[in-house]
Amino acid sequence: MADYASIEVLHKAVPAFSPYIPVGLLPYIAFILLSATFALGFYFSTSVPAQSIRSPIYNTSTDPPRICSLPKDTLPVRETAVASLASILGGFGVVALFCTVGVYV
Amino acid sequence: MLKPWRCCLPLYLLGLVTPGLVLAGHSFENTAIVRTIELGGSLVHVTTTYAVKALEDGSRLYTLALAEREHEKTSWLEAKIKGEAATLPLEEFGYSPDGDAYLYTVELPKALKLNASTNLVVDVVQTHVTYPWPAQAAQADGQSLKYETDLFVLSPYRTAVQRTKLRSPDPQVHSYTTLDDFDDFTTESPVTKSGATITYGPYYNIPPSANKEFIAEKQKHIAVHFAYDHPMLEVTSLKRAAEISHWGANLNIEDQMTLHNSGAKLKGHFSRLEHQSSHFYGRPSPQMLPALTLHLPAGIHSAYYYDLNGNVSTSRLRQAPSVPKGAQNNLNSIMELRPRYPLMGGWNYSFTLGWDSPLRDYAGWDRQSGKHVVGIPVMTIINGAVVNDAEIKIILPEGATDIDFFPPFPPLKSSLSTHVTYLDTIGRPAITLHYKDLTYNHAGTIYVTYKVPFSAHLRKPIAVATAFLSVFLVAFAAKRVDIRIQKK
Repeated sequence: MADYASIEVLHKAVPAFSPYIPVGLLPYIAFILLSATFALGFYFSTSVPAQSIRSPIYNTSTDPPRICSLPKDTLPVRETAVASLASILGGFGVVALFCTVGVYV
Repeated sequence: MLKPWRCCLPLYLLGLVTPGLVLAGHSFENTAIVRTIELGGSLVHVTTTYAVKALEDGSRLYTLALAEREHEKTSWLEAKIKGEAATLPLEEFGYSPDGDAYLYTVELPKALKLNASTNLVVDVVQTHVTYPWPAQAAQADGQSLKYETDLFVLSPYRTAVQRTKLRSPDPQVHSYTTLDDFDDFTTESPVTKSGATITYGPYYNIPPSANKEFIAEKQKHIAVHFAYDHPMLEVTSLKRAAEISHWGANLNIEDQMTLHNSGAKLKGHFSRLEHQSSHFYGRPSPQMLPALTLHLPAGIHSAYYYDLNGNVSTSRLRQAPSVPKGAQNNLNSIMELRPRYPLMGGWNYSFTLGWDSPLRDYAGWDRQSGKHVVGIPVMTIINGAVVNDAEIKIILPEGATDIDFFPPFPPLKSSLSTHVTYLDTIGRPAITLHYKDLTYNHAGTIYVTYKVPFSAHLRKPIAVATAFLSVFLVAFAAKRVDIRIQKK
């Protein structure tokens, strides 16, 4: 077991701590990731039932186009992908946000 | 008393069985002992120089003796050879019933030949040893303290000549023990006073004194009553929390302190008018503490200072630039604190002081072992103050493993626990060390080594991501529930 003197020497000799992500970039990362999370969340929330587009009452010339809508498929692969991606980006974004505002987690 | 030296229990037990082996009165002779006591408030610094002569070839272990009362008040004990910086190994043998004293052995750097001599300097810092006398003082009155000690320095060896000097910080010495009827071991005046220094001795040909007979028949008690126009500070409780963040590359240190002015208690009530007028005329109350200046580490930022009522704005921080880890540093950030009210004698004040600093100034990574090594300062020195109870908590990143800690001196108690804070799932390992009676000599660094696997860093983002995902799952389910009253 190392004694105090040897640990003291080791502490002086080893290179200084360096984080995986530079601290100066964290505010920008937080902004980008949380913006992306917000956008994906918006996209997720504006899903339209698949039947409504093919519905007889849907008039393609008069009704507004469903461009930004996430189709609500029977097998929700796309919805799951969007939700998962938004969650992961949000996870990292929130951690970066906490560090940006001074709560060093 | 904290033990910066090794406590050798087996030898202590041996010493109880064979006291003659411990009280090695035949190896050395003290040709001279000079004890200098620098009187102060909360702290008293005692320097004892032993001029020792070896009476046997190969003598290397010198035994020191402290009386019971002296041992209780000793917070720091260190031995060196005069003129050298290296401290000598010290072992504590504990209480010797035959000697009626606490014994320590000092290992000299080189064994002495017959009749060879050396000078051993023993530094002691005593705490809670002076007391205000009178115990109460009015707001405008001065403050005086009393210090009591034994006349003779105890030693298991014969002493050719011995003297004790007491130096008062103020030339105004009200009284001191004069030893009028005492003429043992001296033909001259047993005590002399010159300015602020009182000298007891010289006393000649003192036999081995670390025994009950000498203490009962020859030992005398001396006291000095002196003026001390400074506040006597004690930190009755210090709780330091050092939190390490790898994501933020930050070290946050937060101190919760309770300050106590242990000087003469305020007699009567506090008069704000008298306080303001005394400041106006440049004659503030001598035992009052109006403000505090702390030397904090270089490179700190985002300092905060608050108490029970909230933020205390009467503070000022002058930051020093960051100093790389391991570099020689003479710079400190200066924090000037002004409590909400002046601290009069007997008063207390509790506050919290904290700051952030870059983790790179304190931590490093050893590629060979894969461990992080971090150095955490034990405490912030408050000039002239003693810390009665200290609890230092070092909070490591979540998921840290292979934790080991190396304090500069052994704690009274240590424990490992789990600390839960923002975005934690399993909590963070925390090392807690307990100390008592810390002085400026105890301002060292606690080193901690630990490993943090990469997966542990992902714990927090995944925890938050899971929370987001659960919200999305609720939304996913809600979108598929038809809540229309009339279905087409």
